[in-house]
Amino acid sequence: MDLLLDALLAFAAAGLGSLGGLGGAILLVPALVITGMSASEAAPLGLITVAAASISAGPRQLGERAVNHRLGVTTELVASSGAVLGAIVSGLMSDSFLTYLLAGVAVLAALAGARRKGLRNPPDPDCDDSDIGERVGTLAGAYPLQGQVVPYTPVRMRPGLVLMSAAGFIAGTAGASGGFIKTPATTEVMGVPMKVAAATTTFTVGVTASAALIVYAFQGRIDVETASLVVVGSLLGGQTGAALQSRLPPTVIRRLLSVLLLVVAVVLVVRA
Amino acid sequence: MSDRSPIPSGTVSTIRGHYQAPGLTWITRVMMIAGVLGAVLPGRAGIAVATAAVVAVIATPLLRVAWLIFRWTQEHDRRFILTGVALLAVVGLGAALSALGVGS
Repeated sequence: MDLLLDALLAFAAAGLGSLGGLGGAILLVPALVITGMSASEAAPLGLITVAAASISAGPRQLGERAVNHRLGVTTELVASSGAVLGAIVSGLMSDSFLTYLLAGVAVLAALAGARRKGLRNPPDPDCDDSDIGERVGTLAGAYPLQGQVVPYTPVRMRPGLVLMSAAGFIAGTAGASGGFIKTPATTEVMGVPMKVAAATTTFTVGVTASAALIVYAFQGRIDVETASLVVVGSLLGGQTGAALQSRLPPTVIRRLLSVLLLVVAVVLVVRA
Repeated sequence: MSDRSPIPSGTVSTIRGHYQAPGLTWITRVMMIAGVLGAVLPGRAGIAVATAAVVAVIATPLLRVAWLIFRWTQEHDRRFILTGVALLAVVGLGAALSALGVGS
């Protein structure tokens, strides 16, 4: 029964994670702890959920041409460097300071997303299907939205990458994937459309989770029997979240993301 | 707030997920079956299948980056080949440091 509950929680966390590009560990780990699991056991399961949701959401997001791999790998390089540094210095920071820092970042990101009205990146009638895709050698691209084509070029890369590095650092210290910082940073700072940001972050958090899971595997902290059903729940959740993402308009996803971020902030403060 | 981005210049990448998407779909199905069997099968067989599911979950995102590096090589996109290789190197470095017990 506990295994089924874990799988159901993983389904919900993966679904919400891939819908908003949050990752999902930030939602699942507190939920598992509430059900009685220790935080050290829950952390690897949270990251398994992130990686599995990233994999299962991939086909739909790739089919919709919403993932910008060049942007994803670039931001992930900075985030992973921050994560390695964060993992090394994690012992030097107090848990409560880090938790309140995370909660504060989540609230700021929620407010930034909620304040904005309308579409920042509207479709361009001069674009056609041949314009859809990434541009070789650059971070720019175009993606389809309701039968039209939306071109975009990431802006403010320096502050954006600083935030990605901070997201990675926080991921390294807190054992989350950092998606709840990456997606708002990609939309609000870099000016990337919401769907592209969420799909690209869903891709990158899978890489972050894999890197951290290798570490956990070395430490013998992965309980494969529990993890197997969590994998199933996460795969189904990831597909469901990606399907919802393709049906909902970007403004609705952005508002939903703001609500989820506020929930994350409350959960973090309660945990602290 | 609404300011339309100009149409980006440059060549449109040929990466359209034609190989990645079916590959990920196939892996998802295999992992789902392995996950269920891992929970249902008793003893060593169950643990072996569950371990395979977890290993696949961990390896797939990194293989995806490796695939992108290969595709960018075909597109002669040196800047992102280097970025991808550097990303895998950082992931490897993080794993190596952890294996050595640094920071734990």
